[in-house]
Amino acid sequence: MSSTQVREVKRSARLQISRGMKTVLAGTIILYIASALLAPTSVSKVAQMGMLPFAACLAIVGLGQTLVIQQGGIDLSVAGAVSLTVVIVTWGPDRHDNRLIPAVIAAFAAAIITGFINGALITKTKLNSIVATLGVNSLLYGVMMALSGGSPRRTTERLSHFTNDKIFGLPHSIYFGIICAIVVTILVKRTVIGRRFEAVGANPRAALATGLKVGRYQVGAYVMAQILYCIAGVVLGGVISQPTAYQGDDYVLPSVAIVVLGGTSLLGGRGFPAASALAALFLKQLDMFVLSLGVPYGVRTLVISISLMVGIALYAVNWRSIRSKVGVKTKEERQLQAA
Amino acid sequence: MSRSPLILSNISKSFAGVAALRDVSLEVKEGEIHALLGENGAGKSTLMNIASGTLQPDSGTIEINGEKIDVLSPHLATSHGLAIVHQHPAVLPDLSIEENIRISVPEEFLLSEGSPAATMRKILDDFGFTVSIKDRVENLTIAQQHLLDLAKAFAVNPKVLILDEPTAPLGQESVEILFDRVKKIAQSGTSVVYITHRLAEVRELANRVTVLRDGKWRGVKAIADISDDEIMTMIVGRELESTFPPKHGSKSSDKQFFKVSDISGGEFQNVSLTANKGEIVGIAGVVGNGQSQLLRAIAGLDKFSGTIEINGEPITGKQLLNKAAYMPSDRHGEGLMMTLSVRENAAVNALNKLTSGIFVSRKKETDVVHSSLTALEVKAPSMDADVSSLSGGNQQKIVMSRSLLADPVLIIADEPTQGVDVGARAEIYKILREVAENGIPVIVNSSDSKELEGLCDRVYVMSRGHIVETLEGENITETKMVAAAISSTKLKKEDGPSVSEKTLRRRKILRSDGLPPTVLLGMIGLLAMFIYSKNHLYFGSYNINAVLGLGTGLGFIALGQTIVLMTGGIDLSVGPASGVLLCVGSFFINDGKSAPIIIIGFVLMIIVAILIGIVNGSLIRFAHFTPVAGTLTVYIALIGIGFLLRPAPGGYFNATITDLLLAKIGPIPYTFIILAGAAVVFELLLRRTNWGVRLRASGSNEESARRLGININRTIIGAYIASALFAAAGAVIIMGLIGLGDPAQGTTYTLQSVTAVVLGGTSLLGGRGSFIGSLLGSVLMVQVLNACVFLNLSQTWQYLFQGLLIVFAAISYSLTRSGGKK
Repeated sequence: MSSTQVREVKRSARLQISRGMKTVLAGTIILYIASALLAPTSVSKVAQMGMLPFAACLAIVGLGQTLVIQQGGIDLSVAGAVSLTVVIVTWGPDRHDNRLIPAVIAAFAAAIITGFINGALITKTKLNSIVATLGVNSLLYGVMMALSGGSPRRTTERLSHFTNDKIFGLPHSIYFGIICAIVVTILVKRTVIGRRFEAVGANPRAALATGLKVGRYQVGAYVMAQILYCIAGVVLGGVISQPTAYQGDDYVLPSVAIVVLGGTSLLGGRGFPAASALAALFLKQLDMFVLSLGVPYGVRTLVISISLMVGIALYAVNWRSIRSKVGVKTKEERQLQAA
Repeated sequence: MSRSPLILSNISKSFAGVAALRDVSLEVKEGEIHALLGENGAGKSTLMNIASGTLQPDSGTIEINGEKIDVLSPHLATSHGLAIVHQHPAVLPDLSIEENIRISVPEEFLLSEGSPAATMRKILDDFGFTVSIKDRVENLTIAQQHLLDLAKAFAVNPKVLILDEPTAPLGQESVEILFDRVKKIAQSGTSVVYITHRLAEVRELANRVTVLRDGKWRGVKAIADISDDEIMTMIVGRELESTFPPKHGSKSSDKQFFKVSDISGGEFQNVSLTANKGEIVGIAGVVGNGQSQLLRAIAGLDKFSGTIEINGEPITGKQLLNKAAYMPSDRHGEGLMMTLSVRENAAVNALNKLTSGIFVSRKKETDVVHSSLTALEVKAPSMDADVSSLSGGNQQKIVMSRSLLADPVLIIADEPTQGVDVGARAEIYKILREVAENGIPVIVNSSDSKELEGLCDRVYVMSRGHIVETLEGENITETKMVAAAISSTKLKKEDGPSVSEKTLRRRKILRSDGLPPTVLLGMIGLLAMFIYSKNHLYFGSYNINAVLGLGTGLGFIALGQTIVLMTGGIDLSVGPASGVLLCVGSFFINDGKSAPIIIIGFVLMIIVAILIGIVNGSLIRFAHFTPVAGTLTVYIALIGIGFLLRPAPGGYFNATITDLLLAKIGPIPYTFIILAGAAVVFELLLRRTNWGVRLRASGSNEESARRLGININRTIIGAYIASALFAAAGAVIIMGLIGLGDPAQGTTYTLQSVTAVVLGGTSLLGGRGSFIGSLLGSVLMVQVLNACVFLNLSQTWQYLFQGLLIVFAAISYSLTRSGGKK
């Protein structure tokens, strides 16, 4: 009996697809089928080409938020970070292409500094992440206003080409979203730092007891997050020809929503970057779908809220205990029983 | 013959198939002090938890005051005059001593000295407290917190008083006070059940003694009729449960490998010990005598003074952290990442050796983990199974696997077989022995002396933080360990007033709830003076009215947010909630509508608010959403509902009502006066009523609060309802300000309310806060925004001031609260 079990320990699936990923993937497929049947305009090329770049930006922001939430935090400075980047890369060059690169570099430098400030406030002075990032968000808006005065400028030609030119019929921005999702997933899932990063998020006390430098991983999360917001901001600055100074406002709560939809727990631990990114597509297409149905804004928002509630309930409610009460066994329990 | 207020007969109790008590009986006579003795895990605490109604026995009967009780609950036990003091004090750190007493001592017992305050003073004086009853419990030392817990139990003048190892955390002076109190209360007719591990205490206090061993009753004797040796014989002699691998035996080739010389730390003093290659070294003693803290220190996790050497080389704590592998006793809290898989847990320390290029090599990782798990005979459905799905024994093996894969030079195991079944225990012993044989010394702390007898090559016995005995070879027996532990008369180092009165007073001021409002008031005043010096229109009645008007709406919403934060939650839905409530009102409270319709409008606002609160609270308490996730969902839903109700702003409010809302006395709106009144009233409710105490108690320490009989679900859901009702009040204020229904109004109030409350000094961790602080925080927020207009500063400054204000306020509160909390 024990020999069969020992043999089974050897098994480790090569490719694991998380529950969050399965849920979001199934949801997205069903959503696209429903869209095609009920509101064909929402899957038209025009609609998709209009929606996808924004989904990509949301996905990139969501990847950053995933990293922070993995560490049991939450980052409300998304709004200020994205807005500031957009302003730096459009206001700074003022339609002069040759000034674009320095502006982008400045944006990344600002992002990294912001990340360290967030991280230090939370790990060193032990501030609650909500309070710290709320304060930093205000500061970022302050800097943004100081730079731009709140009135927008047109994006540069070069940035516009950089994000909107097409490869295989799809604008670059979409590829940026996909590349970021792949890179973050590989970083978290396949490197030593990433794997330990997950361990720290899952249980900082245990991580400390095994000798890991917990604070560094936590600060790292906030810095990486800012870098991702910055990438999203640069892309957004190219996608929108005349961005506003408050472009980041629309990203705060949706970014938290897609992380939660993707199955990453707000209590920290294992993160699902790819699922978060796909959830961005789900959310944007859901918006597009409901919009095409011609229902009012209120209904659209309500639908998003309901999908979020269902999504969280899938993870938060202890289905295992409910199942066992009803008498249904999980796969592992069946295996154990069989062995 | 005297009566017996507590009789337990033939009690049996099993946990998950393991018998903790088998057919145990105990009779406690009126006015006697009855000692209950036995080794760690003999079943003493289980028996007392049954006597106090915390646990239900599988079989047996309970008789209190001659009345047979079928199902005993903690509440029923209390009403029958039974009081119990646990090893871990049930006190609420954020509350004052007075409030802690009030929560567990009924009013009727607080009148013996005339007023409750005088009675409380007497209760505390009896236990040698010099501190004020208004002091917060977190400012007390651990020993004082225990004394407070004891004092509470003595105060209700119980028929039966159960004390579970009361002297463990106490110093000499406090022990004497306690003994004196115990003798006095017994003289007055109270029966005392006194659980202890110390024979000296038994001799000093007890009339009779009952001994348990392995969950079985060993006998009851009058203390005068039994010698210490006879008691010892009754205590020891557990049956050997597992088989142990052969010992190392001392060899001439042995050399000292790990050497600890005279180290001291928080809970242990002047400890010296050695571990040779090939050895397993045991730390024995009664649980909670500094063993775990010693292990943490030599694992490099806690600070220590003194020297530690490996192979003759001195080594620092930081280096130890990397060289020694520590296996904590709290597997769930500190040992494992419970939500991660078996493979991820086992490999985490070894990952940097399992790479190919910059990536972790799947093959290397699965190979190494697989061979480790096979060697340790781990039973798991697969390497990808969550570690939480394994049995205790297999979880412990995962901890061992991780420790071994890290290539340590030393293994430190705290209670390695706790919660592990008998079969797996033997396997764990075998693994530890193999590890030691391979040249990695193992240091084991265990509360099971039989286990140490079977496993170890040398055993150090600890008592009150000191090593009181070293046993080697033939001398490693359970009897000798128990004898050393229980006959020790060493006392804990008295943690007396090590901080000066002056620091204490300063700390008290810094941590008081009154400080933030005072500082805020000062800031508001200074800012006002500054702006006035720049622009004399500032104190114009128009401006004062505008600032206070805006501040009132935010203020009401912030008061609600304060209630929720006090419970340790957060309510993100308050902003959109006020928007929706505004829209609800805008359909009824219009010009030309009759009075009943208008009243219906207000009633509907209240009903909708209550519903919102119930949804928030239920998502959090019943569906287990985190507060952020739950109220964020509701936030988005409420925006949707708001726009469904009113896709565009509309529905002008009744002019009579808006005029009423805008009415003012001098420059000050009446509504602001109402707000200030509400803040004061709620501040008083918070301090003076049971509701306030319950609210802060559930945010301060949910577990203690539950033990003290507070209904947590009701308290917290109630807080979310209160928060939504305050959002409704905020909506009424907005009604006056903008005059029509607009769903977009309000969303900004969510983060503004959190900011205002944080400025006011309420902690996001729950347990404490101030409504007056939140009110002033709201005023300051609005004032700062308004200041920029008056000083001709751009919006940039509005944002910067806001941001700096939040960050600095939060940092300074965080520092003042952690300051001195050593």
